[in-house]
Amino acid sequence: MASSDEKPGPMPGPEGSTPGKAMTTGQRILDKGAQIVQSLKPIKHISQHACTFAFYAHDLSRHIQTHHFLSRLNQDFLQCPVYDSDSSDARLIGIEYIISEWIFEALPAEEQKLWHSHAYEIESGLWINPGMAETIQKLELRNLAKTYGKFWCTWQVDRGDKLPLGAPALMVSPQAEIMGLVNPELIVKRDEKYRITSEDVIESRAGIEEPETISLHADHWRNTGKGFAIDVVQTEMKSGAPFP
Amino acid sequence: MSARHPEVPGDKTGTATSVVETAAAAVQKFGPINNMHQHLCAFHFYAHDMKRQVEAHHFCGHQNEEVRQCLIYDGPESDARLIGVEYIISEALFLTLPDKEKPLWHSHEYEVKSGLLFMPAMPGPIERQDLAKLAQTYGKAIHFWQVDRGDNLPLGLPQIMMALTRDGQLHDHLSKDVEKRFNVNFNEERENRAYMKGPEHGIHPLANGAGKGLQTVLREVDCKPQAAAAATPAGASATRVFV
Repeated sequence: MASSDEKPGPMPGPEGSTPGKAMTTGQRILDKGAQIVQSLKPIKHISQHACTFAFYAHDLSRHIQTHHFLSRLNQDFLQCPVYDSDSSDARLIGIEYIISEWIFEALPAEEQKLWHSHAYEIESGLWINPGMAETIQKLELRNLAKTYGKFWCTWQVDRGDKLPLGAPALMVSPQAEIMGLVNPELIVKRDEKYRITSEDVIESRAGIEEPETISLHADHWRNTGKGFAIDVVQTEMKSGAPFP
Repeated sequence: MSARHPEVPGDKTGTATSVVETAAAAVQKFGPINNMHQHLCAFHFYAHDMKRQVEAHHFCGHQNEEVRQCLIYDGPESDARLIGVEYIISEALFLTLPDKEKPLWHSHEYEVKSGLLFMPAMPGPIERQDLAKLAQTYGKAIHFWQVDRGDNLPLGLPQIMMALTRDGQLHDHLSKDVEKRFNVNFNEERENRAYMKGPEHGIHPLANGAGKGLQTVLREVDCKPQAAAAATPAGASATRVFV
């Protein structure tokens, strides 16, 4: 029915842009009203913005820039909506979860294969917190360098999907080998936007400790040359009532 | 939290971490997050198993008049678990989707008209202005964290979720629990919403899984052929920045 590694059928309209009419005044007023009256607590708990890069687990040649908005549940667990930019009209492209090493190690091997390591991404300056001084960033990055992430992408904007089409796709992180290197043009563009120099960032991260070992099961593609795709298939639904 | 969910493993947030996060919140741009203006509460079930149902708190923002993006949490509190996402589109946009895509989307007419979908704390007349629009939309919901089966971490594969489409599907204890906690009355709301209409062209037969269950399956694939071409001796590529 749908697969994360299959291009979806065509849709009418110009390439790339999200279809749909502009917001009406009426809708803006409704939204404003909701914002005033409703508490939106989980959203207010989001406390950090990070910009980094990721690849599709079924196609390492497709690199995307990501904007993670991190929300911490405790010292060892972060949950992050991921967008394609940091503007108010950014598209929601997925979710990443981030866990400490010790939690990761307790996961079964089959689960670990869906997760990726963060050490290289952080040491190489790919992961940045725009707007925050490096000295402050570094306090957190020491912890993050030893974490593992699980990132599902729900909107493949880089292939021109006008809406979130198809099956969700697993994403993986950049790594220190040829297939894991981010297209340098993407990095240059990103650095220009945030007025940083990657060389300076890398230098300031020199002291960050790597994990002693990175699990053999994480970053599955590195050891096996294999990625993962997701298929959505039809099946009998278990139900207690008529459907639909 | 509505149901007893196991605790997410981990230590309490340390001071240094809190300092960083406070600093971040003060200086960073949170564009897409600030765009989220609305809280909706509804119920989802797994597209392959209607008996497994989840209270779903949607925090939504508009891309434009016809497209909304929602983060789904398992509760309304600040420590709620982020369990999924939902995209909501107008009927007009739904009809432009490729036919293979349509089954992954669900209709909203029943949820809205039955009263089961609501906006906590919003005064009824205002809430209904938006709900009347929502009744004609379609949604695509994907969950990553199966809190209903007791998972204390987001394990396994993403799950396509569906929405209620008729009476008799929702577990009684779930609806009563929500009514109590949010001080709402679904039957009363149903009467208030009787005037609302579903999609102009009726609910599309391909929506809601095309009437069937949907399941996600993991498949191992080869990494792309570019990888083979790229596996040349180190230093051969002139564009490499990091060694």
